[in-house]
Amino acid sequence: MVTFDYNQEGKSITLIFTGRMDYQAAGEINEILLSEPVMKNWTPEESIIFDIGGVDYIASSFIRICIQHAKQAGSGRFSIINCQPLVKKTFKISGLDETLHIT
Amino acid sequence: MSENLLEIADGILEKAQLAAAEYHQFNQEQTDRIVEAVFKAGFNSRVKLAKMAHEETGMGVWEHKVIKNVLGTQLVYESIKNEKTVGVISFNPMTGIAEIAQPLGPILAVIPVTNPTSTVMFKILICLKSRNPIIVSSHRGASKSCAEAVRICYEAALSAGAPEDCIQMITSGSRDFTQIMMAHPKIALILATGGTGLVKAAYSSGNPAIGVGPGNVPVFIDESADVPFAVSNIITSKTFDNGTICASEQAIVTVDSINSQVTAEFQRQNCYFLTPEEIRKVEKIAIVPETGSMSPQVVGQSVSVIAKLAGITVPEGTKILLAKLDGIGKEFPLSSEVLAPILAYYSAKDYDTAINYCIDLNYLGGIGHSAGIYANDDKRIMEYAEILNAGRVLVNTPTSQGAVGGFFNGLPPSLTLGCGTGGKNITTENITAKNLLNIQRVCRRKPIEMWFNFDQSAYFDESLTADEITKEYYKNH
Repeated sequence: MVTFDYNQEGKSITLIFTGRMDYQAAGEINEILLSEPVMKNWTPEESIIFDIGGVDYIASSFIRICIQHAKQAGSGRFSIINCQPLVKKTFKISGLDETLHIT
Repeated sequence: MSENLLEIADGILEKAQLAAAEYHQFNQEQTDRIVEAVFKAGFNSRVKLAKMAHEETGMGVWEHKVIKNVLGTQLVYESIKNEKTVGVISFNPMTGIAEIAQPLGPILAVIPVTNPTSTVMFKILICLKSRNPIIVSSHRGASKSCAEAVRICYEAALSAGAPEDCIQMITSGSRDFTQIMMAHPKIALILATGGTGLVKAAYSSGNPAIGVGPGNVPVFIDESADVPFAVSNIITSKTFDNGTICASEQAIVTVDSINSQVTAEFQRQNCYFLTPEEIRKVEKIAIVPETGSMSPQVVGQSVSVIAKLAGITVPEGTKILLAKLDGIGKEFPLSSEVLAPILAYYSAKDYDTAINYCIDLNYLGGIGHSAGIYANDDKRIMEYAEILNAGRVLVNTPTSQGAVGGFFNGLPPSLTLGCGTGGKNITTENITAKNLLNIQRVCRRKPIEMWFNFDQSAYFDESLTADEITKEYYKNH
């Protein structure tokens, strides 16, 4: 079971995810993000932050969603916060921790 | 490349190959006699060689180099003396497989300046135990003490009946020559201990290599830790030979709930927390800005020398300089490896954040090497160990003395610590004699009953599924 919420403050949108982000869940999340008004109305001035403090597993399909949003946001406007250690290590192994600005 | 250098290399390898040919005929008893003689000669010279290495390199503490020489001789010898390394070394009647140990051939042993004589004697012992001739290539800064260690070991080996030229040393310190040697077709294996560049050169040579490079060892002090014990052990480790062992602690990570206790304990045990201004001054002399790697001028130096170089004043008797940092990476130079009594220090808001700091430190140039944890909570110890990418996770143990084995745990005593694929190595093991053998497997006929009883024409019937065939394959078993 995964959940999704968001916060919009100033020029920053924080997308908050919880749960096990396996292949199926990542697909559901992708659908939600595509139809979510806050993302549809996103403008290039806004930075995107993924808060995944409540996520304890990530499939490669979720990492791809992260990459898509990092590309969409542009250089320096995307970051991922509050990773659990195992998830952080997963990003390290993927070699994308710097590209995705994991903090 | 100079033809002259090529000729010199050819000459060395010709001699080594002859030694390999002769040595290959030795039995276990003859081999062990040589290894024992070399151990005794090296051990008996432990103090002299330690003083020579200290004087020549200007690094470390001679008394600690004596202990390293003891590790490289006595403890290594004790760990290998009863190992079978010649002929049939095992037979498993269940599988019918016998293992035969064969030597590799000439081994090029590259020696670091930080642990010169101890590494020379260690590598000679494990090479001789596996009946491989060794060619020692020392760092330029430690060539005299290495040459003396080689001379002592070689004379002892010869007196015990070893083949002529079973131990040689490269006297030329040029990089070109080392590369020629590494790539020489008669080299069977390169046993390289040193910096990233050297290890990469070894692996790029085209010859098999066991190359072991740098670390960046994070140590986590958990809420469940015995803090005075942890701090005392960290000091014992980080001051050992002024921090020249690559498994020495590089960063201390703890949590806010015990931060004040840990900080006070370090101060009580004569360690000094640098001010932000002092951190900048130490960074300048400890790290080369262009490369982000440690500066040779601080490697193996005492706190007083480092303070003088940095132009700062610290209390007399200070054992370690600690730098409280806000981040990890290039912008925080002291978060990377420094083989000197300097430690980065972090306090995190909670356990998860602390472990994330450790992961970042681990991945900042130290993947696969070593990590430490002080805790009395087994669950956390195992969680930490699973998360970190480290060949050795030392628990409630000084990482310098713990990672090299022999003192605090059952790891094989070694001065060459494998870092796994993360460190571009083939193994995470502590390298020892068994890593220098070709193991032949003699496989007696032990027919697999299922295979011969099964009607193999079933494999050609496309309609049969894996489940159906498996069921039939194991029928009556």
